[in-house]
This record gives sequence, C-alpha cells and structure tokens, in this order.
Amino acid sequence: MSAEINIPPVLQALVNGVSRINVSGATIGDCFKEMVKKYPQLSARLFNKRGDLPHGIQIFINGESAYPEPLSKPVRDGDKIYISHIVLGG
Amino acid sequence: MALNTGKILRVNLSNGKVSTESIPESVAADFIGGRGYGIKYLYDEITPGVEPLGEKNKLIMLTGPLAGTMAQAVSRWMVCTKSPLTGAFARSVCGADFGAWMKFVDYEIIIIEGKAAKPSYLHLTTDGCKILSAAEIWGKDTKETQAWLNNKHGNNTRTACIGPAGENLVKYAAVVSDRRTAGRCGTGAVMGSKNLKAVAITAPRAVHLADPDTYNALAKEQVNIIKGNGGFLNHKEWGTTSTQDVTNAIGIYPVRNFRYGQQLGYQKIVGAEYRKLRVGDMGCYSCPARCGKVHTVTAGVYKGAHSEGPEYESIWAFTGPIESNSIEASIRADQLCDDLGLDTISTGNTIGFAYELYEKGLIKKSDTDGLELLYGKHEPMVALVKKIALRQGIGDLLAEGTKRVAAKLDKGSDVYAIHVKGMELPAYEPRGAKSQGYNYATASVGASHCYGYAAQDIFGAPFPHPTDRFDEGNADIVIFNQNGTASNECGVICAFAGGWGWMQLYGKMLAAARGIDVYKDDVYLAKVGDRMFSLERAFNIRQGLGRKDDTLPKRILTEPLHTREAKGEGQIVSHQDEFLDKYYSLRGWTKQGVPTEKKLKELGLGFAVKDMAVK
Repeated sequence: MSAEINIPPVLQALVNGVSRINVSGATIGDCFKEMVKKYPQLSARLFNKRGDLPHGIQIFINGESAYPEPLSKPVRDGDKIYISHIVLGG
Repeated sequence: MALNTGKILRVNLSNGKVSTESIPESVAADFIGGRGYGIKYLYDEITPGVEPLGEKNKLIMLTGPLAGTMAQAVSRWMVCTKSPLTGAFARSVCGADFGAWMKFVDYEIIIIEGKAAKPSYLHLTTDGCKILSAAEIWGKDTKETQAWLNNKHGNNTRTACIGPAGENLVKYAAVVSDRRTAGRCGTGAVMGSKNLKAVAITAPRAVHLADPDTYNALAKEQVNIIKGNGGFLNHKEWGTTSTQDVTNAIGIYPVRNFRYGQQLGYQKIVGAEYRKLRVGDMGCYSCPARCGKVHTVTAGVYKGAHSEGPEYESIWAFTGPIESNSIEASIRADQLCDDLGLDTISTGNTIGFAYELYEKGLIKKSDTDGLELLYGKHEPMVALVKKIALRQGIGDLLAEGTKRVAAKLDKGSDVYAIHVKGMELPAYEPRGAKSQGYNYATASVGASHCYGYAAQDIFGAPFPHPTDRFDEGNADIVIFNQNGTASNECGVICAFAGGWGWMQLYGKMLAAARGIDVYKDDVYLAKVGDRMFSLERAFNIRQGLGRKDDTLPKRILTEPLHTREAKGEGQIVSHQDEFLDKYYSLRGWTKQGVPTEKKLKELGLGFAVKDMAVK
C-alpha cells in the first residue's frame, strides 16, 4: 500500500525542509520504517529505546487519530498520515 | 433530573451590598457557563464608554459547571472585565484550586461592582460573604497575602489576589491564585482600582450536579482515557518547558523584540536544560498532570531564586525579547512577576521594547535610572520587572504597556511597539505561523496565543485540515480554533487537556452537570462558541473598536523576518486586508467587522442588533 506521510514543521528541519514523503507498507509502522530508511536522522525523534513512539508524538491517518496503537494501524492505498507533536503553548 | 444553572454572588464595594442571584435557564442553555456567562453578563451590564479603571467597570470571576468535581483538568476559572490595556473585552484564565473553591460555596459567578473606600478583601464561606479590611495586607506580595489569609481563615482557604502591581494599577497587572495567574489583559489593575486586595474562600468540598450518577460514570471514563494518553503523559513529563525546542527549530521564537525567529545559542535554554534545575512540580485541582514545573537556582547571582515555572511563555518572555540565554535570570524574573502580580508576557515584551528603544537612542541611560539596556544583559531586565510593578523610575512609564509608551514618546517608536489592540504579543512569531498571527489580530482580547491556538501551523495537527504555516488564507482554521476554544472555556477546561483524547465526553459531562441535554450535541457546542465570539465582538464594537483595530503590528506587516538557521527567512504578513475580508465574511460580519443583523439573530443574539445599527 502506498501512502503519504506529512512531516510536522519541527521535523522538516531534519529532512532538508521536505514536508511530505511517499512510502509504502501494510501498517503505519511499516511506512515509518521505510521513511526512517530514507531519513535515518528521524529515527531518534520518532522511536524510543523500546521502538515505540515517544509520548510527545501523535499520529493521525486521514484526519483521524490513530490512537491507541498507531504503529499497528493498517494502511490503504492513498492514505495520508500526519505526524504531530503534542506540546501546546504555555 | 433537577436543573443546575449555577448562582451569582454580587458584591457592591461602594455601598457594601451583597446579594445572591440565580441564573436563568435560558442563559444557561445559550451560554453554558464560564466565559459564556462572562460575556453575557458583561454585555448586559457594561455600557459603552465605561472607564476600565473607574468605579463603573465590573470585575467578574467565573468558574464552570464541571469545576470541583472528580473529573480531571476541568476546574479552571477566569476573570472577565473591560480591559485597561485594550478598552475591549477581557478574559484571563487561571488554574490552581480557586475555581473548585468557588463551586464549593455554590457560586459560578462573582460580580464585583463599585469601589471600596479603603483597601478590602472578600471572605466567602457557605454562610455568606463578608467585606473585610485589607489594611494589614495592602502592599504585601501575593505569597505573603495568601499566607496571611490562610493564617487568618485556616488552611482550607483558597485565594485570588493582587500584588503591588495591581495596587499600583500597572496596566498589565495579574490576579494570582497560589502560584498561578490570570495574567493577561490587566485584570489585576481593575481589581486594584476597586481597592480590592483579595477574594478568599473557605469551604468544605461539596458540589451540586444535576445527574451525579451519570456524571460520575462519565468522569471515571474520562480518567481512564487520560491516564493512557500520550499527550497527557508528555504534558506530565514536561509541562510546556520544552516548547521552545520546537519554536526555535522552526524559526518562530520571537527574539530581540520580534526581529528574529530563532535565538542564537538557543540550545542553552531547551527543556532539558531547565530540567536540570527542576525540583518538583505543582498542579491544579483534580489534575494529575502537575504541569507546573518548579525550579530553583542553585548558584550565581540569582542563587535561591525559586518559582513554579517558568513555563513556555515565561521562558520566552525573559529570554527571547532581550536575547538572553540565562535560565537563572528567567526563573528569577518569573518569580518576581508571580510575587508582585504581573503578566509575564506583557512584562517581557515591554522590556524587550525598552531595550530596542535604548538601542535606537530613543531613550538614554539618563531615562533608565542608569540601567544599560543592552541585548544579552539580563540584570537590567530583572531590575525592570520590579521597577514596573512598583512604578519606580522608568518603571512608571513601562507600566503603561507598549502602545501607551510609544504614544507618549512618539519619535516613531510605535514601529517597535509589538501589540494588538494594546495587548503585547506572546511567544509565537506571526510571520512564521500565519494562522496564529491572524488569531492575534482578530481575538476579542488582543494578542492572545490561547484564544485560538493554531496547532495546525505550529505542530502539524491536521484538524480540521492541515495547513501550510506560511499560507495567509486559512480564515476557516482561525475561526475553527477560536470557536472551539470559546466552547471549551465554558467548562472551564484546561487548554492542554483538550488534547488528551476525552473530548467526545465533554458535552455529555456538561449535560449531566447542568441537566441540559442540548449540550450533548457537538454541533450545538460549536454554535455556542460562535455565539460567544460574536457577542464579544458586539461588545467591542459597542466600545468603539472595529476593523482598524484588527491589525498586526507594523513590524510584522512591513519588515521581513530573519530566522537564522531555520526555515522562513524573509517572511512577512502581506495579505491582512484580504484575510480580514474572508474572515469577516465567514463569520457573518460586515466588511467593517460588525456582526450583521442576520447573523446575530441566527445566533440568538437579537438583543444586540440595536447596538450595531448605529455603527
């Protein structure tokens, strides 16, 4: 399945300003693995030591939250995946 | 299921009259509570032309229908009034316990009128309200004041008070409760103008709910959702002490009075560096996030400085405006603001403005009491905080805020005054997050970051649709964010908690608390947000504000942003007129930004039509 991953502003700085990446995979986790192959510098920001998403990251697919197990969520052709940071204001 | 619309405590400080009123069901249905009640009562009771610091202005404290219950992060409270900074509608939200304590004495609204002849405070219990002498605490800081009141009335007392800044009518003075502040809009100055030092509440814990069984089941569901939510866990870990990591990286951390979007050496002030000085955390009533991170300085010139905070906005306020990388100075300045009762955002912004005036030669060492306001030097900044609160020396001028300082100095200094409607901009650069900028321009209260926070631009949140943060055409996003915020502030729920995965329960919880079923409909909640925002607009129109006031500062509209190593170099806001046309059209307002008769009637605000007709 091919999908588009939308990169949040703060991570764009790590991938030369790229805001969208086309990847393929059966799940969001597969798609992320492919993305990290292209951009290894994203790995430390997207995965903790156990290989899970850190608390500060939230994933949406076609505008819906992928909670509670985002990396296992199936992906269909043409899906749009969004990475968002969970830090707000102050 | 009995209706539970809340009660009003009305106190007239001029004649000492105290009364209790019920809130009509129709008002509860239309405005829900919190900020909704705030604008409804302010609109009804504040006539055009009322002087913000005069006897006829009113100070309204409000909490929401969910406050004091077992649900989490829903016990916030706020102050609504006519702002001395902007002359517009003011709402300033605060945390800690005070909102819950208002509910424990069964009041959702406290309306304070008139002016006391001598310094006074209110003491509320379940037996009633007394107006007492504040002679012994007038002049004391907020910490001393609260300690004195706890000593007098017992530890089961929670207080909202002002410090010396409020007493001295500093235009951006705050109302403080515990170590949290209703910081923005100058609500503390209004309280000071009434000779009112504090409102203290002593009460046992008990709240009334229309349908307690349903409510408590929903609250348990909420608690279960929140404890596993990533957003909650992140907030618990960091509060907002690491937001500057993101805003610097993407070039929207305002530096040197909004000339740069990234601070040189910002790695020295990232969240991990603040964490090294963290000694604990504090939270609000019934919230396990405890997002107030407490810091103590252990060495150097600020050794011993200790504060709950600074959080993101205050970290910025005491680093970015003067481009200082001293975490220690920011902790000390934050502590001083909380003690003296100042809004950190307006204080830091105004000090950054003073530094630029000094750089440009518009004020000199002889004007600044000998202080050298040189970028990177934090000692003068810390000294200025105190001078502002006490109106000493140049502090007396800076206490008026950037708009009035520029008007007084003239000499072209208005270019450097970074405010909207008179209220200073917070810690997000509008040229690098355009929807956030246009929220500043159109927010009822002036430049508030949390009146319609553009998480789409800043963090890539894809609701209701993703944005390009440099695109100036997202009027629908600005409205979506503003209306949603308004609806949430009826609760009054914490702005952060809205992202913790439980919001599908919000309307049901409101309905169970009040006994009004229509709240269960999310479309209805959005309409209430629209209704509130439009009535706030009508309030401002009636006070003489309009399209001319919906503008970002000249610098943002005329000078390209410099972002150093981040994306966005050269960005400018260049389509403000087109944006406003689109925004007003989507809101159902005229080209001059006046709500139309059709729109007002559609929102059930027909009573305001006559006030708009002359505009």
